[in-house]
Amino acid sequence: MFGAAIAYGLSRAGVDTLMLDGHDNNLRAARGNFGLVWVQSKGKGLQRYADWSRESARLWSGFAAELTDITGVSIAHRNDGGMMLLLGDEEVEKRKIEIAEMSKQSGATGYDCEIITHADIQAYFPDIKLGKAVTGASFCPHDGDVNPLKLLRAMHSGFVNSGGRYKSRCTVNNIDHANGVFTANTQQGQFSAPKIILAAGHGISHLAESVGIDAPIRPQRGQVLITERIQQALPIPLNGVRQTDEGGFQFGSSEEDIGFDDGTSLDVVQNIASRAVQSFPQLSTVRLVRNWGCVRVLTPDKCAIYEESISHPGAYVATSHSGVTLAAINARLVSKWIATGEQPTDFNHFSASRFHVQAT
Amino acid sequence: MTDSADLIVIGAGPAGLAAASLASKHNLSIMLLDEQAAPGGQIYRNIEHNVTHESEICAILGAEYAYGAALAETCRASDVTYTPGATVWRIDPDGGVAYSVDGAAHTAKGRRIILATGALERPVPIPGWTLPGVMTAGAAQTLLKSSAMLPSGRVVVAGAGPLAMLVTLQLIDAGADIAALLETTRKRDYFSNAMLLPGAMAGQDYLRRGMAMRRAIRASGVPIYGGVTELEARGDGQVSSVRGRSGGERLTFEIDTLLLHDGVVPNIQATRQVGCEHEWYDPQRYWRPVRDSWGTTSIDTITVAGDGAGISGARAAEYLGQLAALDAACRLDKINMADRDSAARPIRSAMQPHTAIRPLLDGIFSPSFTTPHGDDTIVCRCEEVTAGEIRTAVAQGVMGPNQIKSFTRCGMGPCQGRNCGLTVAELIADVQGVPVSDVGYFRLRPPIKPVTLGELAAMDFSETDS
Repeated sequence: MFGAAIAYGLSRAGVDTLMLDGHDNNLRAARGNFGLVWVQSKGKGLQRYADWSRESARLWSGFAAELTDITGVSIAHRNDGGMMLLLGDEEVEKRKIEIAEMSKQSGATGYDCEIITHADIQAYFPDIKLGKAVTGASFCPHDGDVNPLKLLRAMHSGFVNSGGRYKSRCTVNNIDHANGVFTANTQQGQFSAPKIILAAGHGISHLAESVGIDAPIRPQRGQVLITERIQQALPIPLNGVRQTDEGGFQFGSSEEDIGFDDGTSLDVVQNIASRAVQSFPQLSTVRLVRNWGCVRVLTPDKCAIYEESISHPGAYVATSHSGVTLAAINARLVSKWIATGEQPTDFNHFSASRFHVQAT
Repeated sequence: MTDSADLIVIGAGPAGLAAASLASKHNLSIMLLDEQAAPGGQIYRNIEHNVTHESEICAILGAEYAYGAALAETCRASDVTYTPGATVWRIDPDGGVAYSVDGAAHTAKGRRIILATGALERPVPIPGWTLPGVMTAGAAQTLLKSSAMLPSGRVVVAGAGPLAMLVTLQLIDAGADIAALLETTRKRDYFSNAMLLPGAMAGQDYLRRGMAMRRAIRASGVPIYGGVTELEARGDGQVSSVRGRSGGERLTFEIDTLLLHDGVVPNIQATRQVGCEHEWYDPQRYWRPVRDSWGTTSIDTITVAGDGAGISGARAAEYLGQLAALDAACRLDKINMADRDSAARPIRSAMQPHTAIRPLLDGIFSPSFTTPHGDDTIVCRCEEVTAGEIRTAVAQGVMGPNQIKSFTRCGMGPCQGRNCGLTVAELIADVQGVPVSDVGYFRLRPPIKPVTLGELAAMDFSETDS
């Protein structure tokens, strides 16, 4: 998602860009994600990231329209707000504390998120009955969603349509740097350019090292369930529940630290299904079609890294697990930064150096 | 509740029945799970009912069908815990199995698993194959076995493979109105495989029966056309005609039902989902699990037996089931390796005539419809994705089946690619100019059969002993 969005932005700006991609069976977070354009849970501890996510959400409508315009692919973007459903008083209390913390952190910018009641929530969803277990929700007007598979496809096709070159089955083994030129050594030969952007998800760390950037990334598995298609009933997305434009209900927000295993497990599936049925009891007769695991690309503080190498100028790292949310801003501002050197405000907040602060 | 057993056998066709029956003799606790209401699998479907109540149907289906009654009876008489109506939707490498019966999900844990999930008919993606009134020859035979029903109106059978001929003959005998059998197999397919004849002589019974079927179809007055190409089903909302070309002749038949068949392929949904390694079998252009001489896959706890391991027919399936059972008994310390090997020897020699014929059959009946010619032909029925959409995506650089799946939704529907997986791989290989073995296959995710959210939510993992 990161690579495709930035490459799309670069080729739209007329920069001669080559996108190197790996194999069909590589770990691909971009093929397994949930599709939320999400603001309310982003940036705890790094306000610049909360602002960055909100700014991307704001750019999203224009970005979605442009993608559809030039590729003909409708990506089902919605931006009418989103909720995190809360089951039981304990979850409501916990969320209230988080909201208070985020409000304090965000200061004058404000943290647009409020707790709403069972009746408020039900009013958003006239076509499906809310379960009694739902005691509240946190609502944020900036949240939304998109069909992530259509998004990826549209960015690829927009990239190619704008003159970008795409090479698949082309894993980069290592990178050389000489006389201001970077050379990516791949199984399909060598490719050289004055600038190189590393957005290879879990493949970043060892490549980043060779251009003098330490990008500490860890895997975290999330499992997702998708049902058969049913009538549209969720006009806005929920954290962990959304209905795709095709009609399938998608569930999942699990977090497991078990390495690079992108499989699934029955206990987690049951938890997710159980929460789904408690939230919307009438879904209990709906059939699950597929259940997958996907490995998130997480930095230590779960916020993005954007950094140009000091030792190897022209080499960049860009990564975060919020590839969908940040697709718009990556396509617009990040590609501009790489093409022209024009830095967004306070961009140094996203440097990986924040993970190497000396203990005092 | 999680039941536990030494051995879980999945599928009650010839391989599963034979495996469960023999393994139970070696004091293994066995759970036999099967999707159907009664034992027999596809080949001996509804055998118990038909042998006792439907003598006419049994006469049509013949001695080879009636043979299955003894297999079912032996298994019924054993200590096997048999659960009919059990749809298995998830298998784990540690021996875990999740399945549903009557709308309730259950889990079980086996020390070993034998997968005997049989074969599927290969998709036949010709223009019009998704029209109502077009079905597979195997499906027509299923209707005959399970409810003594015949396809309606005027029928053409088209395609290749022994089953196309068999079903044609059975339907003629049952009184169906068959207009013609259109075979894609050419005369030269027989000649060019002649060098495989000597090796196949041990299985000459199969050849004799094949020739007898052909004579019987001709004797009934139903014409057989060979080397048929450009096959196409036409109709407006319902099939009304089938067209093709045989030699120089254009063929058109006005019909109500078209039965298609292009051979069978291993049902690898379960072995793919659990993560077994697979290999490409080029003569019949299908994937099969990699396995040792007992059927054990790259996952040590999981053995495959029968057509799911590679197509070798019902009789071989039975022997393969027995070999898998012996190996399970040995690995679970009920017999030693020497006893296993000596018990296996007569089974392997009895099996020989049934496997000897395969290279010849595989050569003669090589699949005809692997890559749709036109761009408009539907490849993925669930999501209605056409061959053209797939070709376009591949031409834009999409590297493999899983990227195709996420870009086009092909293979994303409830059938999980069962009906399109092979066609997609063939199309990618064709456009990229690489062998299918390099292209790979869809990553299969559970559930391999749909299960409701309510069933999942109500699962109980506490353990019991069966």
